[in-house]
Amino acid sequence: MRPILLQGHERSITQIKYNRDGDLLFSTAKDHVVCAWYSVNGERLGTYQGHQGALWTVDVNPTTTLLATGAADNTIRLWEVKTGRCLKTWDFPTAVKRVEFSDDGTLLLGVTEMRMGYLGTVVVFPINPDIEATQAAEPLFTITMSGSKATVAAWSYLNKYIITGHEDGSVGQYDGKSGELIQDVQAHEPDFLITDLQMAPDRTYFITASKDKTAKILSVDNLKVLKTYVTDTPLNTATITAKKDFVILGGGQEARDVTTTSSRQGKFEARFYHKIFESEIGRVKGHFGPLNTVACHPKGVGYASGGEDGYVRVHHFDKPYFDFMFEVEKMASAQRQLQ
Amino acid sequence: MPAIQRAAQPVDWAEDEDYEDSSALPGQQIISNADGTKTVITYRLEDGKKIKTTRKIRTTVVKEHVNPRVAERREWAKFGKEQGNVRGPDISTTTIGENMLFKPSMNWKANQKEEVQSGTDMKTQLKDKKVACRICKSDHFTARCPYKDTLPPMDDIAGTTTASDDVAAPDMNEVGGSRYIAPHLRKGAAGAGDKLGGASRDFGGRERDDLATLRVTNVSELAEEADLRDMFERFGRVTRVFLAKDRETGRSKGFAFVSYAERSDAAKACERMDGHGFGHLILRVEFAKRAA
Repeated sequence: MRPILLQGHERSITQIKYNRDGDLLFSTAKDHVVCAWYSVNGERLGTYQGHQGALWTVDVNPTTTLLATGAADNTIRLWEVKTGRCLKTWDFPTAVKRVEFSDDGTLLLGVTEMRMGYLGTVVVFPINPDIEATQAAEPLFTITMSGSKATVAAWSYLNKYIITGHEDGSVGQYDGKSGELIQDVQAHEPDFLITDLQMAPDRTYFITASKDKTAKILSVDNLKVLKTYVTDTPLNTATITAKKDFVILGGGQEARDVTTTSSRQGKFEARFYHKIFESEIGRVKGHFGPLNTVACHPKGVGYASGGEDGYVRVHHFDKPYFDFMFEVEKMASAQRQLQ
Repeated sequence: MPAIQRAAQPVDWAEDEDYEDSSALPGQQIISNADGTKTVITYRLEDGKKIKTTRKIRTTVVKEHVNPRVAERREWAKFGKEQGNVRGPDISTTTIGENMLFKPSMNWKANQKEEVQSGTDMKTQLKDKKVACRICKSDHFTARCPYKDTLPPMDDIAGTTTASDDVAAPDMNEVGGSRYIAPHLRKGAAGAGDKLGGASRDFGGRERDDLATLRVTNVSELAEEADLRDMFERFGRVTRVFLAKDRETGRSKGFAFVSYAERSDAAKACERMDGHGFGHLILRVEFAKRAA
């Protein structure tokens, strides 16, 4: 496996997203620039310029025509993927920490920060998939978080729910049409921030990563914890791989904690766990800072990780990765062949 | 076929002669075989010899299905900071990392440790090399030889010069000219190291002066033997000071041996000088271990 290093950013990477076909990769960093890359060879397609603050988040719509970004300049911007043209800017009183298109690309959610007397909110905008159309200026609805602020959010299948991850380690389930709170679950340790929340390809379950050093898979419908992955380092990100039943977790000691902790190693590795059996099956080294984000290729042929060191590393899996099976899996597949 | 055609055409006089030449080469022949392969026979001249080359070629068509949306996006013009740049990765933004082995496994932790151990260059280099005992010539280290205390090394028994060659030979073959060769393996050294070792064994149970010898490490590069002698003579009579020096630069290699006449003096020196500052470094002093 030969990783491709993408060095287009000058500051730490905040989020990476593959488009639905997996041929493009979008990365945001704190350096105000969004980059689009070809995932196959790491060639940079272009940059989207206009943001005035650190970028926190990016998402691309299912047809790879529109790109949404959220930044610390208190805006969500909508871009034309092909040309890098800014189509729409929505202003907010505080920074935007997460944006995500719904599965059908007709809705866009944004998570805003709680700061300066403003409560954290989740806003939902209707999106016209036509590039030339004027986008709605006002959100469909706004969910205001009275308790702990939301740090991440995602759409469930059929836009039925909005799932939020909170600063206090809880996970909320909101109605996707009205924004009503349905239920709230303390999924992670209290007062440990949920750093990432990524949906499985079919959006019926999702994985959360937390600073409490665990990642968990929860069901979208009842927020039941299905799987727990225990690590030895605070996690910043987690993703579910397509094709193989693995999850990839990333994290590491924060730079500001290096001098205050005894451990010598930063643990800046991407960790692979088996999704079903919850056991660790390998690590991939490379970054020299904590991993801030990992994203899996939608076809499961590779993954990309972005770190505090400002590099994006794009990996294409080799044969041993696809061949790997647990003993029980091997037996099951052998039995299937016999039948 | 080509020959007939050429004959029928009006031929240039310059070419004509060439054509008449009896040593002219037959044209290329292509035969399609039954199994779908092609045999190509070509002729060429080399050093006045006619050489016939027969090649068997199998042509396979590899079809790749590309998503039309992906193919369309491949054609997109670059924009933003990349505007106007040509297709293909730019080395200023895209580089290829080091190749790494990623093999998921149940017991990846254990595997990783093994890799670290086997990954050391020396080990892999010497994996296929044989170890030969200098005493009995069997495949273990000399230090592990069961006859270590009863037999002298073989090269001591044989003539000194030939013996040293024998010992050196297996190593010299592998080792390039610039590589380090242990003194006793060097040509003309006549197995000095072995002799010393052998000699010490003749003392019977008593060690030569190993008991009262200190190993001093972390010595400054600029240190001289005299400096060390001055420092260590405070604790008793020093019989020998040996400071390892680089042959080329003449500078200290950072370690030295100091031998005392009395072991008690050595012990005292060891205790007092360990951790003593010398130059800009802190000395580490311990009793020298017996060379195996």
